[in-house]
Amino acid sequence: MTPSVLVVGEPHGDGLAPVTAEAVGVAHVLAGADGPVAGLVGGAGSASAIRELGQFGVGRVLRIDDPGVEGASPGALARAVAAAASTVGARLVLLGGTTFGRDLAGRVAVAWNAAAVNGATDLRWDGEALLARRPVLGGRATETRRLLGGRYVVSTRPHAFPVPERPPVSPSVEAAPAGPVPPLLLGPKRLGVKAVPSGSGPALADAAIVVSGGRGVRAPENFRLVEELASALGAAVGASRAVTDAGWRPASLQVGQTGRTVAPQLYIAIGISGAIQHLVGMMSSRVIVAINNDPAASIFRVADYGIAGDLFEIVPALTAEVRRVRGT
Amino acid sequence: MEIVVCLKPVPDAETRARPLPDGTRFDPEGVKFVLAGYDESAVEQALLLKEAIPGSAVHAISLGARSRTDEVLRAAIALGCDSATAIEASPAAFEDPIAVAAGLRAAIEGLPHDLVLLGKQSGDEEEGLVPGALGELLGLPHFGFVVDLRWDATSQRLRFGRSTEAGEESWEAPLPCVIGLQQAWNDPRTAKLPAILKSRRAPIATVRAPTGPPEGPTSEPARFELPPPRTGAKMIEYRTPAEAATKLVRILSEEAKVFP
Ligand SMILES: Cc1cc2nc3c(=O)[nH]c(=O)nc-3n(C[C@H](O)[C@H](O)[C@H](O)COP(=O)(O)OP(=O)(O)OC[C@H]3O[C@@H](n4cnc5c(N)ncnc54)[C@H](O)[C@@H]3O)c2cc1C
Ligand SMILES: Nc1ncnc2c1ncn2[C@@H]1O[C@H](COP(=O)(O)O)[C@@H](O)[C@H]1O
Repeated sequence: MTPSVLVVGEPHGDGLAPVTAEAVGVAHVLAGADGPVAGLVGGAGSASAIRELGQFGVGRVLRIDDPGVEGASPGALARAVAAAASTVGARLVLLGGTTFGRDLAGRVAVAWNAAAVNGATDLRWDGEALLARRPVLGGRATETRRLLGGRYVVSTRPHAFPVPERPPVSPSVEAAPAGPVPPLLLGPKRLGVKAVPSGSGPALADAAIVVSGGRGVRAPENFRLVEELASALGAAVGASRAVTDAGWRPASLQVGQTGRTVAPQLYIAIGISGAIQHLVGMMSSRVIVAINNDPAASIFRVADYGIAGDLFEIVPALTAEVRRVRGT
Repeated sequence: MEIVVCLKPVPDAETRARPLPDGTRFDPEGVKFVLAGYDESAVEQALLLKEAIPGSAVHAISLGARSRTDEVLRAAIALGCDSATAIEASPAAFEDPIAVAAGLRAAIEGLPHDLVLLGKQSGDEEEGLVPGALGELLGLPHFGFVVDLRWDATSQRLRFGRSTEAGEESWEAPLPCVIGLQQAWNDPRTAKLPAILKSRRAPIATVRAPTGPPEGPTSEPARFELPPPRTGAKMIEYRTPAEAATKLVRILSEEAKVFP
């Protein structure tokens, strides 16, 4: 059995998002030793995207040449993905589990008549079925789902899979099949994109390291201590609801039940008590570090490593040590 | 504007999760299912639009076991929704997000709908598959991860933002449209006691979800596992802050291997 896999390339800057490379890695594993892996890219900026796919061993690339599809609603793109999946005879379509991929996956699944799962951290075949594992209940448990029916759409959780090491190839490039897009799907218009300013650190949802601060920082100006540590680590900044409710930092940084869910490799909680509503947003992080001056704080029960101490002393020392070790 | 808001009964955040004895899935026995976080915010968003646009109505729908849907729907009525519909489905159907979307469609097609609003469940499955699947089933445009949703009366269009990895996108879309909200209000309105009491007697309409072809695509839970209990943090012993910092950085790079 050499099931063919289609990977949907997610545009990012001039090339592809890192999570696309991770998805290509899983695609190679699931397609078998020499099973076919194809890629799909948008027309704009496709030259570097195609080159990148080649570097990760993708031998065949379909390119969407219809400018109407890009910048249109996810519906138009989903139709294009479904058509490309049928063209390459895929059994599995993989997307990165980012906003882009998670939003698209359900639509592609219906358009292509497939079973779907979002945010997989482990994938393997079980005969004709596909087993997909992922954290649920805000990281308090993991669930393995069995996908049935022979056609599957899966998005992979960022950082869950390694970037593949394969001999680079020079992929063949062909035009993706263009189907008619119903006019209703072309009604919405994108008015603009404000790019995330470079130098502002990685986005919360996508970051490998997140440094979050809580009420323990006591005043908005002190939150800078959290931001400096994040910047030294190349990490994204998060916050507890105590901080966002007080208006010390914008609500977009809030981690937890009514904020963002994050699952980085490393989560550092500073001056955060560990209320359940905060924990459900960060508990599937791989390693959790807590800094809190109350040795009985509940955050220490879920953390892997803890420092009981005054954040005003510990955090600057930590920032200095990180800078020293990284030579910055 | 006729607004349909889709509400998922989810286990209370304080619930102790445990697997069934056969290990295949979450054991719902004794678990309280509630209208949670993001869906509460979806109701809030629907009510804000209703208040801003004269002649609007909000229809709440929910799919699942009847005891759970009715709880959630009555909460929505108490908050100010105008009608409630429970979608009954076989248990297998409400375990697969695409089947859930098909059930939601069955109810939505029987209701006036200019705008279909969904939430995002951070306390539960976090699939995010339902808005897109529902959009495709209804043949309507959909957008997930939406923030700052507004109605622009002049252009008769929705305006909203989406925060993606690429940046902050801004969009406008004509009706009808399916919108999955990313935003949560920290303080959605709470129901008043008389409204709660009245909601106990509110009528709840019933719709049956279609059953898919037996060989069709679907998914089922195969294993539900709790992580090994976190035994509590390994506390770092130190005399000076500098020593604490050195020790932590060493542990993170050598033991935990997460330090770049
Ligand atoms: C429906 C609902 C939804 C919610 N959603 C969220 C959510 O999404 N996200 C969220 O975060 N919360 C949420 N909450 C709020 C949550 O219950 C907590 O109130 C909140 O997380 C507390 O934030 P905190 O840990 O920063 O503050 P606190 O609980 O006040 O903790 C501050 C901590 O700082 C420590 N500290 C103080 N001074 C120092 C010092 N000098 N050095 C080191 N440590 C120090 C203290 O020991 C304490 O542990 C929600 C609540 C409800 C009811
Ligand atoms: N059983 C359900 N009944 C009603 N709405 C649902 C159901 N399941 C999911 N939804 C809607 O889809 C959104 C996303 O759910 P999920 O895909 O599980 O994250 C929820 O916030 C609801 O608005």
